[in-house]
Amino acid sequence: MRELEFVNVRKTYRSPTGQDLLALADFSLRVDGGRFVSVVGPSGCGKTTLLRMAGGLIPSDGGEVRLDGGLLTAPSAKMSMVFQGIGLMPWKTVEGNVGLGVQLQAHRRKLTAAEAQLVHDTLAMVGLTGFERYYPHQLSGGMQQRVGLARALVRQPEILLMDEPFGALDAQTRAVLQDELLNIWNRVKSTVLFITHDLDEAIYLSDLVVIMGRRPGRIKQVLDVKLPRPRYSYDARAEPEFAQLRSIAWRSIKEEL
Amino acid sequence: MTQSADRLENPAKFSLASLGASHYVLATLSLICFLLLWQTISMNVPPIILPGPVKVAAAFVELTASGELIRATLQTIWPFTIGLVIAFVFGTALGLMLGIFRPAARILDPYIFVFWSIPNIAWLPLFIAWFGVGQLTLIVFVFVSAFFPQLLTVESGAKEADSFLVEVARSLGGTKREILHVVVLPAALPYIFAGLRIAVGRALVGIIVGQLLIVATGIGYMFQFYGETLSLAKYFAPLIVIAALAVLLNRAVNWAEHALIPWKQRAFV
Repeated sequence: MRELEFVNVRKTYRSPTGQDLLALADFSLRVDGGRFVSVVGPSGCGKTTLLRMAGGLIPSDGGEVRLDGGLLTAPSAKMSMVFQGIGLMPWKTVEGNVGLGVQLQAHRRKLTAAEAQLVHDTLAMVGLTGFERYYPHQLSGGMQQRVGLARALVRQPEILLMDEPFGALDAQTRAVLQDELLNIWNRVKSTVLFITHDLDEAIYLSDLVVIMGRRPGRIKQVLDVKLPRPRYSYDARAEPEFAQLRSIAWRSIKEEL
Repeated sequence: MTQSADRLENPAKFSLASLGASHYVLATLSLICFLLLWQTISMNVPPIILPGPVKVAAAFVELTASGELIRATLQTIWPFTIGLVIAFVFGTALGLMLGIFRPAARILDPYIFVFWSIPNIAWLPLFIAWFGVGQLTLIVFVFVSAFFPQLLTVESGAKEADSFLVEVARSLGGTKREILHVVVLPAALPYIFAGLRIAVGRALVGIIVGQLLIVATGIGYMFQFYGETLSLAKYFAPLIVIAALAVLLNRAVNWAEHALIPWKQRAFV
């Protein structure tokens, strides 16, 4: 199944001046199992709120978030989150940070031999073999986000929630990591909900691009991306379909700016 | 998988080996200049105002040989260490507790602030009345001097645990207890050392003032005695001991911090 669904979700924030700010109003979206879905929209449209709710970090004020049909109210072991700020523990090595993904899931201090092997394999998957004993501050931003990705993947999640994971990286590193993400996704086949403000990134990665309007967040348009996969095996960005989708998406977003 | 686009910063320490050598040369040179200057000035003022380094060295040797300086140093080190250690342990423990359990902090913080704001010296007559003129009063005074800076520094450290890291740990399924262990305590560790650094300084002031004003023993008393008798050459001997002690303790704290916080990036000086 591995299906994530938002049903009439609503979220209000209290602003410092005491006014209520409606971040999301009657937001509904179904992310089918195994699909790669991106959400794009102007800043402040509630994208991150959406993802934090999906991750069980904040409650909704109305409506429901459902995971495989069941109500989601707290972080689930079936899911992993990847953040733009990465959030590595500075006092843990690369290995220690990735191990945390398992430890906090299993509520155990020590890893079993099988789990240690899993950490090792996951580090290999994201290309970090040989960096196990490094501390985060000794790594570049791109490598730090690889650690963040490994920490999420080591949990063998059914659903991967990604909040602008490559937003803080330079263009080149971002392109490399996009391809690696697709490559990894090809193997693990989890459902992905990906937040970004980068249209090219959304189209390149996704099966479905959800375009949100400005606050209060609602769905404006949904684009189906039918470009064949694996997209890193050819120059997908140069395809006419890519340019066409990009132009539609851009016009749609521009109205919201 | 490729890492071509990724840049790995060299984790090796900057090589300051050559620079380090010249650093020691500079330090030695500056010390020599300082001693020469001191000697020159002392030769141009009455010895009662400022004894020269040669006289001070002679007095230092004399006081060491007679055993007076060593006895005084030991008399100072014991109450100092006992008071500091107790202050460190309880200050750290209570600081962590208050930093983590906010309701407790809300209740106790005003009291702590009031006690901390009162100059230490004001407690002294009270402590003498309570604990008598003796070692116990001295230890309590050192304890009070070191306890509050340790407590307050650790408390603020435990409070300032990065809320984003807490959220990350929560998203990974961490319970409150696990988050404490994985995020809050390691984040507070540098503050424990920052507190200790301040606490050591305050405890030193505490022990000297205490010995000077209450028990008439140790280094503090040597200051008083040789100060009042205007034996300034001898007055400098305990001063050197205290300075050496301060430097040594600071080095020890730095060393421990370095050993226990390997993730902290530091400038190599």
